Amino acid sequence: MYQYDDYDRRIITERAQQFRGQVTRRLSGEITEEEFKPLRLQNGLYAQLHAYMLRVAVPYGLLSSTQVRKLADIARTYDKGYAHLTTRQNFQFNWPKLADVPTILDELATVEMHAVQTSGNCVRNITSDHFAGIAIDELEDPRPYCEIMRQWSTFHPEFAALPRKFKIAVTGTPGEDRTAVRFHDIGVRIVEKDGERGFEILVGGGMGRTPVIGVVIREFLPKRYLLSYLESILRVYNLFGRRDNKFKARIKILVTALGIAEFRRRVEEDWEASRTPELDLPDHEVARVAAFFQPPPYETLSASTTQLDGWALGKDREFGHWVRNNLVRHKVPGYSAVVVSVKVPGVPPGDISDTQLDAVAALADRYSFGEIVVTHTQNFVLPNVKTSDLPRLYADLVALDLGKANINKLTDVITCPGLDYCDLANARSIPLSLEIADRFDRIDYLSDVGDVSIKISGCINACGHHHVGNIGILGIDKRGEEWYQLMLGGSPGNDASIGTILGAALPQNGIIDAVETVITTYLAVRESSDERFIETVRRVGHEPFKRAVYGEALATGDAA
Amino acid sequence: MPIANHWVVTGKFTDDASNTYRRTDGTWTNNLQDAGLLGDEASAKAFVAAVIANEQRQISDPYVIEVFAANGTIDPLTARERIRASGPTVRIRRPDSGLGR
Repeated sequence: MYQYDDYDRRIITERAQQFRGQVTRRLSGEITEEEFKPLRLQNGLYAQLHAYMLRVAVPYGLLSSTQVRKLADIARTYDKGYAHLTTRQNFQFNWPKLADVPTILDELATVEMHAVQTSGNCVRNITSDHFAGIAIDELEDPRPYCEIMRQWSTFHPEFAALPRKFKIAVTGTPGEDRTAVRFHDIGVRIVEKDGERGFEILVGGGMGRTPVIGVVIREFLPKRYLLSYLESILRVYNLFGRRDNKFKARIKILVTALGIAEFRRRVEEDWEASRTPELDLPDHEVARVAAFFQPPPYETLSASTTQLDGWALGKDREFGHWVRNNLVRHKVPGYSAVVVSVKVPGVPPGDISDTQLDAVAALADRYSFGEIVVTHTQNFVLPNVKTSDLPRLYADLVALDLGKANINKLTDVITCPGLDYCDLANARSIPLSLEIADRFDRIDYLSDVGDVSIKISGCINACGHHHVGNIGILGIDKRGEEWYQLMLGGSPGNDASIGTILGAALPQNGIIDAVETVITTYLAVRESSDERFIETVRRVGHEPFKRAVYGEALATGDAA
Repeated sequence: MPIANHWVVTGKFTDDASNTYRRTDGTWTNNLQDAGLLGDEASAKAFVAAVIANEQRQISDPYVIEVFAANGTIDPLTARERIRASGPTVRIRRPDSGLGR
């Protein structure tokens, strides 16, 4: 993985020192909260519903075991013994004291981590495929380009005060999008054209109160122009994006208002006028950064999957389900990528304790060359596990309460912090996911239902990605009380679609019943067990589900 | 939903961003039940202005909430303020009472 150079170290250390001074001045009253707020936000420090929250950047989700141990130590020393995995591959600490935050930033800097640009109207953490570098269907490892973009966008003076926040995702697997690339301000897809590798650039995607599927602005961009082209997109957005209304300030609004043809014309015009050689990416620079992402020293192992197949159908049914659900084929024979479920019944999705973090770091060292990846689905990936190590790893994970065989299943819910933590939320999200886990955590049932994504947001800002859930749940405020809208049909991948509302909002005590009704209806109307939930919804539409959920209420006029 | 019959001045302690409520004597508490009740919104807003002017070091982001107070109990009128007053409704690994003011 990438190692900081002297420049990286210096700017991160200096930033932490600078923030220490700002905190001192706030605590002494020398500066007001109004003056301090933009300063703390630039360092990832939010004031949430009950406490400060510090968001730590995890570039493209990749962590070393050393970094995970440091995060565990911070959780133990400065927080309440746990951290939270976010839906953008970052970490959050929910309870730091203000006076401790500069010290936490110092601690993070010792392991080449920081919290800059995890908030504010700037280019945020760049996300990527959690199977980057090991995916069997990958065209090229996207991480070197993510890292190059990270360096380019960090403290970029021209883009430090954009109209709104700006999110970029990169995928190197054109055949299967695991990054929700079409729902980012800029999506970058590594593609091949006439034997040459380059990028397809998408723009104007996003969720939030106005969900939009990104559109292609350039079908093929030669690699060397990546940064100059992104600069032109950002420059046009910076110049023409709205600043009068924060709800209409994202680039998706500008692209929609102008139309992609006019937006493209302005970008291309700027690009032709401003492109200079110093922003070109020479091959040797790409190679220099790519050298940090070389494969670990894999052993030469058999490509046979007989053992895996045997385990999948073996006597140990729990292990078999885990092999089927939580493993992903690796491009190196004899290895697997293991998705570690951080969806533990009774625990908020994505919450992980300091002891679990330490243990995951130890497992990464023992089984996966010391690397861990955070997924945007609030789980971990151990990317390089030998097939022969899988039974021992599984036993270790079960002992840690991290052995659920539920990846991409009903209980693998994406959930924002919601009104339990978030200052912006209208309704709680976490209790719904806990109820889902409680009600549906039966492995045979999960297997029968198959792959289905539930995504829950506690407000329209959509941190829980509800728009792209096969089943999406949105918390709303109705006269001070929590209500929920139920949506069906969303998907974040290559088949991108935005879910649509099924019917009237439901009260908290009715929303999970409605989810169960939707699933029961799916099981009744699917053509076969091979037809996934999303395929059924697309085939039959909302009507059978709407009738099942609202039939009686509509008939009696009780729907809210 | 009950109708508001009192108002309370709230905000955050600057040092930990925990929620705080203004007592009748002008000191601050984490406990909503210890909050000073105000009989009209205008008085409460005047206190907020005073907090911004005079107590900005200790207290951040003051504002007014509506409550229903009866029989010695203060109830916020919204889910947000109820959760804000009582803390997350879900499991916390190592709960503590913060600075417990």
